[in-house]
Amino acid sequence: MTILDLKRLVKDFGGLRAVDGLNLSVQEGKILGLIGPNGAGKSTVFNCIAGVYPPTEGEIYFDGTKINNVKPWNLCKQGLARTFQIVKPFSSKTVLYNVMVGSYVTTDKRSVAEDRALAVLETLSLLDKKDIKAGNLTIADRKRLEIARALATEPKLLLLDEVMAGLRPTEVDEMVKIIMGLRDSGMTIFIIEHIMRAIMALSDWIVVIHFGRKISEGTPKDVASDEKVIKAYLGEEYGVS
Amino acid sequence: MTREKLQSLSLVLIGVIAFGLPLLVRSPTYLHILVLLFLYAYLTTSWNLVGGFAGVLPLGHSTFVGIGAYTSTVLALQYGVSPWIGMIIGGGLAVIVGVLIGLPTFKMRGAYFALATIAFAEGIRVMVENIEYLGPFKLNGPRGLQIPPLNTGLANFMFAEKEPYYYIILVMLIAVLALTYFISRSKLGYYLSAGGEEPEAAMALGVNVARCKLIAMAMSSFLTALAGTFWAQFTLFIHPKSVMSLDISFEIAFIALIGGRGSIAGPVLGAIILRPVSDLCRIYFGDKLPGLHLIIFGVLLIVVMIFQPRGLQEPLTKLYNRFLDRFAAQPDRIR
Repeated sequence: MTILDLKRLVKDFGGLRAVDGLNLSVQEGKILGLIGPNGAGKSTVFNCIAGVYPPTEGEIYFDGTKINNVKPWNLCKQGLARTFQIVKPFSSKTVLYNVMVGSYVTTDKRSVAEDRALAVLETLSLLDKKDIKAGNLTIADRKRLEIARALATEPKLLLLDEVMAGLRPTEVDEMVKIIMGLRDSGMTIFIIEHIMRAIMALSDWIVVIHFGRKISEGTPKDVASDEKVIKAYLGEEYGVS
Repeated sequence: MTREKLQSLSLVLIGVIAFGLPLLVRSPTYLHILVLLFLYAYLTTSWNLVGGFAGVLPLGHSTFVGIGAYTSTVLALQYGVSPWIGMIIGGGLAVIVGVLIGLPTFKMRGAYFALATIAFAEGIRVMVENIEYLGPFKLNGPRGLQIPPLNTGLANFMFAEKEPYYYIILVMLIAVLALTYFISRSKLGYYLSAGGEEPEAAMALGVNVARCKLIAMAMSSFLTALAGTFWAQFTLFIHPKSVMSLDISFEIAFIALIGGRGSIAGPVLGAIILRPVSDLCRIYFGDKLPGLHLIIFGVLLIVVMIFQPRGLQEPLTKLYNRFLDRFAAQPDRIR
């Protein structure tokens, strides 16, 4: 079943067309990877989906309803959660506080919000850091906190924007394990990532965009051997023998 | 004794001291200073709902003081309405004005927001200064309104001595502190802090930041206006310069910043430190160096911002927690 469907999505910034007629759909229970060189428009696609920018043209359907002009907070209530490429923790507050902001979305009761936040922290092995101020965390833990906050809203679809950028290889492996665990628990995930090793291992299906256009899609294996993808990443002059 | 017990005991002790203070302080002058101290602690705590938790810096709260003072006074003078009822009506009026000011201004950030609130507050003050009659209501322009001290008593919110005023403002302060404590632990409190610190992240987590700020503004305006009525009944004479002047807004901001924005104890600590400075300067240097207190505030603000950017509540809270840890009986820890 399709949970997220983009139909001819276009986003202009002034004269610049950041996303150009993108068609894409995310299947329930699967991990879709979105890759592309720097400036390809990946984060813009996420921001359009998450309600930060209204699309210039085209339609976005989430869970069967059109969400072109739905505000971010309402999307979150409908079950769409996201993380930010540049992490945005509530630095002066504790880890638990950060996650509780997310878990308050479906409840008004403090005890319910706190219990759910603690459960999420447990699954992400952040429980021992729950009383640390978010501003004092390492970058790996901050990325994890981003995911924890998003998970606390109990989403149907999770948008992950470069949650592994800046991590050490061992930390990347841990993050891959976490995301695999989320998929196994039935979560649908749409992920942007630059670390090829990670995205190849994680994704069920990969879409490649370049200058806002889709240039290829397929299983990780197919995409990796696609000549157009290699050229987009390495330049026209790079010969594929 | 457990830590929790010690904590509640120390709070009760502070309460008892506060309630017993008028038995020791007999001088009306010092009692007056104490009433103003509590009044400013109350005003700053009300301000703190927006200025502290929601992370913006409103500098026009004098408007709400003025609305509260004028509403209850006009209703009492012209229609014989008890100031207690006028107090609530003034609060309601302040909510409407607060929301109307908040709707356009909350879209701005930082200094732009602060300047916009100053502009609204000054605009309203100048208007009141130039209005003799607002419809059927007599505002009396710059000359202000005097409340004849005829019928003293609780029902008329008017007393010959200072003590009743002291107890009224003390109860109001305790109530607003309790409300702040309750809000800071509620969903609204979490949403306000989140929206103030990282609005984009908060929105992505389901927080309607603009609506939360408006709710905070409405509550803050209401509570501030109640203090306006108290002020009017305390001084029995109000004019635009006394209850709508920007000095009030600035002093609230000074108290909040030096005491600690966004904390519960901050506004009270700030008022305890700054109010006596202000009053003693006026008493001893009022003739030679008027305005000396503002210079002292400025110096204090600089020093506090350099060494304790979260305000004086932070080191004091740490000290208090250390005291609790030291004297509370440690529960047996088994590893």
